Amino acid sequence: MTGTEHAVHRSLRTRIRENQRPAAVWVAVLLALVALEAGALVDLAVVLVQGMVKAWPFGNPGMAGIESAKAAAEAIPTLLSRETIPNQGWRTSANGPWTNTFLGLEPMVAWLLRFALTYAYVGVLIGWFLYGYRLYREHYRQADWTPTDDVVRRFRSHSWGKFGFVVVVVFVVMAVFAPTLSPALAEENIENPYSYEMQYFDEETGSVETVFVGQANSQSTSQGAGDDNIGLWQYDDFGRFHPFGTMPNGKDLFTFMMYGARVSLFIGLLSMGIMGAFATVFAMTTAYYKGLVDLAVVIVGDSVMSIPQLLLLILAMAVFNGHWLEGIYNGGLLIALVFGLSGWPGLWRAVRGPAFQVSTEEWVDAARSFGQRPSATMRKHMLPYVVGYLLVYASMTLGGVIIGTAALSFLGIGIDAPTPEWGRAVSLGQPFIATQSWHIAMIPGLLVVAVVTAFNALGDGIRDAIDPQSEGGESETTAAAAGGGGG
Amino acid sequence: MSRWKYFLQRLVLTVPILLLAMSIVFLIVRAGPLDPARAIVGMGNPAGYHDVAVDLGIERAVRVDGEVRYVDVPLWQQYVDFMAGLLTLDLGQSWVIYPETSVYEVIALRAPRTLWLGFWSVLIALFVGIPLGFYAGLNPNTWGDYTASFGGIVWRAMPNFWLAVILVAVLSNSQQLFGFSWQQLVVPTNVVTAPNLGFLTDPGMFLSDPGRAFNQLLGATKQILPAAIVLGSSSMGNEMRIGRTAVLETINSNYVETARAKGVSARSIVWKHVFRNALIPLIPIITAEAFLLIGGSVIVEYIFAINGLGQLFFTAATKGDLPLVGSLAFIFILLTLSLNVLQDFLYTIIDPRVGYEEN
Repeated sequence: MTGTEHAVHRSLRTRIRENQRPAAVWVAVLLALVALEAGALVDLAVVLVQGMVKAWPFGNPGMAGIESAKAAAEAIPTLLSRETIPNQGWRTSANGPWTNTFLGLEPMVAWLLRFALTYAYVGVLIGWFLYGYRLYREHYRQADWTPTDDVVRRFRSHSWGKFGFVVVVVFVVMAVFAPTLSPALAEENIENPYSYEMQYFDEETGSVETVFVGQANSQSTSQGAGDDNIGLWQYDDFGRFHPFGTMPNGKDLFTFMMYGARVSLFIGLLSMGIMGAFATVFAMTTAYYKGLVDLAVVIVGDSVMSIPQLLLLILAMAVFNGHWLEGIYNGGLLIALVFGLSGWPGLWRAVRGPAFQVSTEEWVDAARSFGQRPSATMRKHMLPYVVGYLLVYASMTLGGVIIGTAALSFLGIGIDAPTPEWGRAVSLGQPFIATQSWHIAMIPGLLVVAVVTAFNALGDGIRDAIDPQSEGGESETTAAAAGGGGG
Repeated sequence: MSRWKYFLQRLVLTVPILLLAMSIVFLIVRAGPLDPARAIVGMGNPAGYHDVAVDLGIERAVRVDGEVRYVDVPLWQQYVDFMAGLLTLDLGQSWVIYPETSVYEVIALRAPRTLWLGFWSVLIALFVGIPLGFYAGLNPNTWGDYTASFGGIVWRAMPNFWLAVILVAVLSNSQQLFGFSWQQLVVPTNVVTAPNLGFLTDPGMFLSDPGRAFNQLLGATKQILPAAIVLGSSSMGNEMRIGRTAVLETINSNYVETARAKGVSARSIVWKHVFRNALIPLIPIITAEAFLLIGGSVIVEYIFAINGLGQLFFTAATKGDLPLVGSLAFIFILLTLSLNVLQDFLYTIIDPRVGYEEN
């Protein structure tokens, strides 16, 4: 392939036009895969928009439109949905067959099937993207080798990083497919249990009865003493299966965890977006201009950092209590904003080194003397070098944000009840840790530990992949990761 | 001496940083959506509201035609007053938590418990984290190393509040779980209450009534230990990881190789060459730890019911005692900045590389 060096540079689009088959097949399969779950994705998007509009102080423009969009999203046929594989059914007689569940299966089996299929679907989807990358390398990339290949290769042999990646994917899938993965809908089981009815087989009357979900909840509580406990992997008296048991108020802990993951991920990603934007802009400008610009950002950054983050969060939550901003996503937006606005100096400091390093390279000098606009130089010649580091520290800081959010909810000033947040489950379960209802506080904590460790591991993996000699950068890493560690 | 010039630069920079940080606090406390005076008096008490507002400097009483009217003080005027007050160390008073008490008195009441907690958590983290990290670094890729490293990573990822909650539950039920009662161990204490620090405020007790004083010291230490372990946990993990890397780096460096070739004993190499140099990267971790303590103390004090400064800040913020919150924030910021200065100072003394980049 010596010819490639002399080949005229052609855009990716022309290259695809010249060899359409692999790309066409890949896109077609991808569309088919996405179409299978389109309902779930549209539903997620609608929920996000709805949360934004709900608390808008200046009237509710288009709330009706959103409601209809939500109904439309639910009407989109989805392969792995509660409707296709229902798990909430009831027996028709004592020890009789189940009705209303998938193929008459036991609720546990039906739920497990849906759960496993969802993860299998995501596995296939990720596999398809990896296959797509390979196709691109084989058919469409002009160069035989790029540095990215080495990065990918190094990451593939980094088992600690891969472990992190897998757990992070599990976590993200929890958040995205929360309604599918949960044994019950949060709306029915957690948020408005007295607006929904359910049926069950009553052993005493010997017939199928109808009851409010809330009533069923109040008779399925986990409060430690006596019979008041629905533990891990158990059914309650209403034929409902609880993989993680129930909470002290009888709500399903697994459902709570899945929707809680949604909240954590939303706050994590949003705050990371804000932090990342600030950190990138400042890293580029300070590295390019140095001198006074750098000094100014140092001063601003240090003053933001000198106020402990958790205290700032507590203060903001107290001051904005009842304000409309606090109403958006039940306080989630405000938490994300405070994290974002107070966390960027840590991220900026972490990438400042690499940014300065690249700014001294000859090509940056060349671009400058060539008369290229500073913004173009930063974007084209400096940013690509820094993006990897940004990813590393963002991944590690995200763990801190998740812990911080949970800590606020634990203190009772974070995400408003009844919206699920992992920290609140710990606080609800606190009195029962030493009893048989230990699961309420233990499981959320273990999940936080797993997710935070995974984000750290993913960060480690990426760092070792992009920069194999970078053991020394660890002190800055931990400083960044420790940002939310006050929780 | 370019090193000292560097230190001096950092010292001078502290001033604008302090001013800017205080401005941020001012913006949240005064220009935020919560009216501080309203938060103090609550709703439906207009007369009391004006009194408090005038006292806080938000409003001014003006006599018009023999009638008292209240005029808003412009925000910039409030800002000047706020900053001037804090910078002249006039911290004002608490309104809700300890009505009519000066902030100094409140802090004097609460600070010893937080300091006692902070002292022990730094100590525990240092004396567990660093030796473990050095052990792992001196024995790399052994099972001991893997256990210590993995333990450190997971330990660091544990949320303080969760760890604290678990620890409280375990200790409260130690009789059933381990067969001995933590409460009755050595000196009888509760799991969650503030330690009695009478011996700190009255050191003369050690002479007049040594038995009681030592008993109190023992009880206070025992009571603070679980909270200190939780608070020190994330730093412990950090110190371990950094310590391990630092030892690995120094042990593979040329001067250690040379020393070994000269026939210096292994013990002397470890203590004289490896240990001392490996401590350098640990400096920012140790100062950052003290920084983490300030934020973390809120959670830990809340769970262990230690009514120290962290808990004071939390209740003050949630109960609407914003003047107290502002003053406390000032104290915390001062504390952080002095820690930063201390860190730079230590760097300047210990690390010969500091300041070289500039030339």
